Parts: sequence; C-alpha cells; structure tokens
Amino acid sequence: MAFTAARHRVTAAVAAAICVGSALAACSSGSGNGGTPAADASGALKVWARAANDSPKAFQAIYDAFTQKTGIKIEPFFTLTDFETKLTAAAAAHDLPDLVVDDAAQLGNFKTQGIIRAVDKSKLAGADQLAPGSWASASDLSGKTYAIPFSAQANLLFIRKDWLTRLGLSEPKTWDDVTAVAKAFTTQDPDGNGKADTYGLDVPGSTTRGYISWYWSTFFWQAGGEYFKDAGNGKFTATVNSPPGKQSLKWFEGMYCGSPKVVQPSSLNDTTTETNKAFQTGVTGMYFTGPYAYATMDGSAVKGKYEVIAPPPGPGGAKTLAEGTNIYLMQGQRPNAAQKLAEFMITQEAQNLGMTKVPSATIVRLPVNTSVDAASAHKSDDRWTLAQQVYKDQGHYEPVNMPNWTALRQASSDALNAVIAKCGDSDAALDQLNDKLNTLLKQQGVAAG
Amino acid sequence: MSALRTSAAPVALPAQRDRSGSRRTVPQRLGRSLTPWLFLAPALIFFGVFKFWPSIWGVYLSLFHVQPYLGDQWLGAANFTRTLDDPDLQAAVWHTVLDAFVQVAGSMLVGFVLALLLEGPARHLRILRTAVFLPAVIAMVAVAELWHALLFPGRYGAVNSLLGDVGLGPLPFLASPNSSLWTIMLVQIWKHAPYDMVIFIAGLVGIDRELYEQCSIDGANAWQRLWNVTLPALRPITTIVLILGLIRGLRVFTEIYVLTGGGPGGSTESIVTYVYRNVVVNNDIGYAAAISALLLAATILLTAVTLWWRRHRENA
Repeated sequence: MAFTAARHRVTAAVAAAICVGSALAACSSGSGNGGTPAADASGALKVWARAANDSPKAFQAIYDAFTQKTGIKIEPFFTLTDFETKLTAAAAAHDLPDLVVDDAAQLGNFKTQGIIRAVDKSKLAGADQLAPGSWASASDLSGKTYAIPFSAQANLLFIRKDWLTRLGLSEPKTWDDVTAVAKAFTTQDPDGNGKADTYGLDVPGSTTRGYISWYWSTFFWQAGGEYFKDAGNGKFTATVNSPPGKQSLKWFEGMYCGSPKVVQPSSLNDTTTETNKAFQTGVTGMYFTGPYAYATMDGSAVKGKYEVIAPPPGPGGAKTLAEGTNIYLMQGQRPNAAQKLAEFMITQEAQNLGMTKVPSATIVRLPVNTSVDAASAHKSDDRWTLAQQVYKDQGHYEPVNMPNWTALRQASSDALNAVIAKCGDSDAALDQLNDKLNTLLKQQGVAAG
Repeated sequence: MSALRTSAAPVALPAQRDRSGSRRTVPQRLGRSLTPWLFLAPALIFFGVFKFWPSIWGVYLSLFHVQPYLGDQWLGAANFTRTLDDPDLQAAVWHTVLDAFVQVAGSMLVGFVLALLLEGPARHLRILRTAVFLPAVIAMVAVAELWHALLFPGRYGAVNSLLGDVGLGPLPFLASPNSSLWTIMLVQIWKHAPYDMVIFIAGLVGIDRELYEQCSIDGANAWQRLWNVTLPALRPITTIVLILGLIRGLRVFTEIYVLTGGGPGGSTESIVTYVYRNVVVNNDIGYAAAISALLLAATILLTAVTLWWRRHRENA
C-alpha cells in the first residue's frame, strides 16, 4: 500500500491465466522447510522491492553503494503490481528471494506462510540506532521480531488550493468541514469549466489489497474506534461495530450515498492507480494519502495547485493511518549476505540515499534511523516537516501484529465495499463484520472466550 | 463435420497397407506405428508438461492445506465439502452461468444479424466485414482496458459524455452492483459477436441456393425464407457454437479481472476470479485447487454430454 501504491491488473491477469489455467498446480509444489544453511550459497543476492516509476532507481543507488562496500552482487526485482501475488508464486515454486522490502502490514501474511526468518535484534548491527517505536510494526503479538523497519509515514490530506480559493472556502478543520468542502467541490464547479465533472473526495474503494478499509481506517480511528480489544493473554475480541465504528462508517457511506454523492463514481472498483490519476487530472479535490505522493503529484499537471495539510480530526480526536515499510529476511539460501544488506539499509548513509538520491522517488519517507532527520534532509520542502509532525502526533498503525492482519483487513474491505455498493445498512454490516472478524481471530488462534 | 470425415481417411490407408504387406519386418512395422506419435510428440510433451501434469497435480493439491514452506496438511475431502457451504462461491457460480448464457446468446444473435447484413461477395462488404471483425482479434486484456476507460461512470467518461449529449445518464456502468455484470456482458458481446458472425457467414455460404429459389417460386417472402431455409440449415453450427461458448464461458476471467476485479460488492465475481482470489489474497491454494478440480469435472462432463448428444443425433 505504501509507495505510490497501485495496481495494474494486466500483468496479474496474465499471471493468473497461467496459474488458474493449469488448475493451480503450477503455483505450488511439494512441501518442506529449507531450514537455515550455515553458509551462504554462491551467486547474487536476490532482492525484491515493491516499487515502481522512479523508486527502483533509488533502491538501485542503495544496492550499488552496498555492492561497492561489500563486493556482494545484487540481482534486483521491482514491481508494484501484485507484488505479494508474485511472492506467493515464488514461495510455491520454492524459489524465494533472499530479501524483500514491502509493507509492514504483510508481516502476519508472510509469517503465516512460513517464508520469513525471525530477526535476532541482538545480532543485527545498527539495531540500536532505530527508533524504538519503529520496531512495533516489525514484531508479532508475542514480541518476537520478524522484520527490520526501513521507512515510516502517515497519511496527510492533499487538497486543491486553487479550488478552495475559487470557491472562497478555507481548509477543513473538522469532519463537518470535510463534508462541506467535498459538497462544494462536487456541486459548485470549482474548476470553472461550466460542467459538473468534479468530485469532493478521492477514495480507492476497491477490495484489492484491502484498499477501502485501509483508507477508511483513518476515519475509524478519528471517531475513536479500534479494530480489536486486548482481552489479555494474547487474546482479542473484535470491536469494529462499536458506536464510534458505526458513526464513522455512516459518515463515510454518506460521502458515497448522500446527496450529492461526493466520491468519484468509479471509486468502488478503483485502486490507487486510478485515484492518483483522478487527483492529478482534476477529477477530485481531496485525497488522503502518504507523503510519497508528493513526487507523484508534483510530476503531473496538478503541481503547485494543491496543498498538503494535517488530516482534520474527527469526533474521537486527531488520528491518521501510519504505515511502515519493512525489510524481510526470507527463507533463502544466502541468509548472511541478506542480513548484511539489511544492516546497510538502516545505516545513516542508506537512509539518506533513500530519502534524497532520487528527488522523484522518496523510498525512505520518514527515516527509522534516529540519527537522520527528514525535515533537514528535505530542507527546501517544508511539507516533510509536516509529514514528520503528523506522523508523530497523529500516526496510528494498523494492528499488523495480529497473526494474519491482511486476512482481517481483506474481510473488512469486502464488507465495506459490499455495503457501500448497495448503500445498505452500515450498522448491520459492521455487526456482521464483527462476527466475521471474531471467526477469523478464532481461526488464527487468538480469539478471546 | 464433413471435414472430420475426410481427414480421417488418410489415416486409415496406411493401416490397410500394413495388413496386406506382411513381408515388412517387425522394426519396419514398429517404425510405421511410431511415426505418427513422433510427429505428435512436441505437442504432447508441451501439453503434458503445461496442462496435463499441472491439472493432475492440482487435483492432488486439492486434498491438502497447502503451505510450501511449512509442509502441506492432509485434509481429505474437506476442501470439497467446504465448497457446498460457501455463499461466495455459490454467488460466483450463479454470476458465471448467467454471464455465460447471456453473453453467448447475445453474441450469437448479434453475430447472426451481422452475418445476414454482411454476407455477399461485394468489395465494400469485404471491407466492412474486416472492420467489424477487428474486435475479435484484439486481446481481451486490451479490449477490457479500453472499455474500462470509455465506461467511466462520471459525466466526462466517453460513453457517458455521448449519452449526456442526448440527455441521458450519467450511467454508473461498472460502478454499480446493479449494472456491473450486464456491462461486462455488453463488452463480451462486442468482442465475441464478430467471431460468431464469421462462423455464420461460412454457414450461410454453404446453404444450397436452389432452396432459396424454390422458396421464391413457391411465393415465400424474405421472413419465411429465413425461418424455413436459413435457420434450419444453420442449426448444426448454431448448436455447436452455443455449447462450446457456454463451456468456454465457465472459465471467464480476463475481462472481469481487468474491468472490475470482481467488484463492486462481489457483484461480478466469477468462478475463476474467486479461485484467483483464494490463491493470491487468502493463500488458500488447496481450496482454490478444489474449486478448480470441480470446474474441470463440470467442463469434462459438459463436453462429454455434448459429444454424446452430437453422435446420437448424427446416428439418428
């Protein structure tokens, strides 16, 4: 979801055709566990990163610096499209890469598949330089570490400054303001072209990768909701249907189903590929997304026409979706070299490279290394100061430590997308979702009672 | 059908010669019987590696909870019994069957009308036929991407902008669960109808012209000629195109995946997109394999019934 998160369905369609056409067998083989070899196998280190556009260049800069230092060659692979799909296929073929850079939210998914190694922090050079908080999304419920944090971020509100000015509106400060601005953007022709062809709010509402609930989470937490309640002893109960949860979904659904409908009409099938485009081309005027989108948006016609502000607080306070990008050590044949690369990627040098080497691709958004400061690295762009501040003040992580958060997020997305598609009873939908989440918690072995 | 019979003849000939030429040595005879297999070998090896073996392996996997790095767990028939109690799968089956029927019937109807309009030797008809046939040769992924852009549900989508000019819309098309599946069917018909047209034109050309003349002499009008001569003569082609289309329709994936990804609200989920979701989203390879195995069984059954029925009719 991080990066300039996107989906392009075409490659997936081809991959799927191969998978499904052969009755799936090509997607799996045999069983067994590689175990940890004592010495590394020969050959280049295979490294996958979920990245597209200019981001691969930034990763390559880090890899090159690493190769120069250590002599270890790297065979990189980059894709944004269906990254986890390809990883699943690689796992099924017992041909995993040695190291993977992907969202922290995938931790449980990877761990459940048994494709990542546990990380021994005491043996990881530079582990002590990382912000203690950044480790939170790299460990499971028992506190055991399964990844190394690489970058962090929190969503901000991107809003069309020129539209606000034309309509004589000010920046939204509350939920009511967000609603009012969204309505004005939809009905008052903010681009002045004489046509009713603009929308207030840009939402990737597809169920792919759990987009819709990922996006809604900000409002859910702003209302004061939480997905789960800790019942002690590592057990949890779902609480998505709490009054704040219901309030936030009702409000969110109103954006789609109220009068006027203020979300772009293709939303429920859209991923961030489409929503980025909608914001870039002046279809939508407000978009909650991460600081990685500075580069995406500045590379388009919308540059200079939008501003970035802290997400307006909801009835339950100021919260916004925070996310981490992790380095995962895979069950490959080169564990020592992989760990060396991971150690390099969290150094001051690599973190700086990731932030500034390629201006159009900030693969390290907010650094995890405490000796690096994003605001001073991006001196010319004070939006990074805001990004850092919002992350610190409002950042709220998804419960990525659950045994398999992606499965829970997917269930939430399916439920949200379905009820909004019908403009149905949002309260009842959340009650049903709560039951479903409790069932999933039971399947994952962490349900209370 | 006649083509099948003629192609069978040369195969029969060497066998007869073999029987008469008993002077041939054993290696010679062996060589003769092996030759056709040698010619078939590349295709057989290809299908074996990429189709047959994966299919068998897939059926085997359907008996497990598949975890490549943790070891597969034997489940027996549990994945199969689960399919009986899965409302999402049932919805997907319903969408698939409905889609198969409507798009196949729609494509045939449009294809037939196009064939009637565009049959003939005139040069301008040839150009028109080529133009009309183009959608059939474009890859489905490209077609779907194209329509995805054209059908944007807002006022500035190309189709909605045209509708707006005549005072209609904007229609939601793929964005509403009420219209999404029907919109996909329209795209499928747009793509498949020209192909059916070509088959129908071939059929029309094969109809004995004398029948039309006789009809005219008997005073039949155009409608009666169509009803009493053209349609009966096209019946064999029609049935086979229909049934093969339905069988193919069960595997619908590309256009749905590209256009809607199965949404909104699961309203366009088909059997194969559901299988895909189970593999890549839920990592539930065993369950997906079980659904695939059932789909394979249904396809084989349908094909067998079709073949039996054709033979039955031809013999009758």
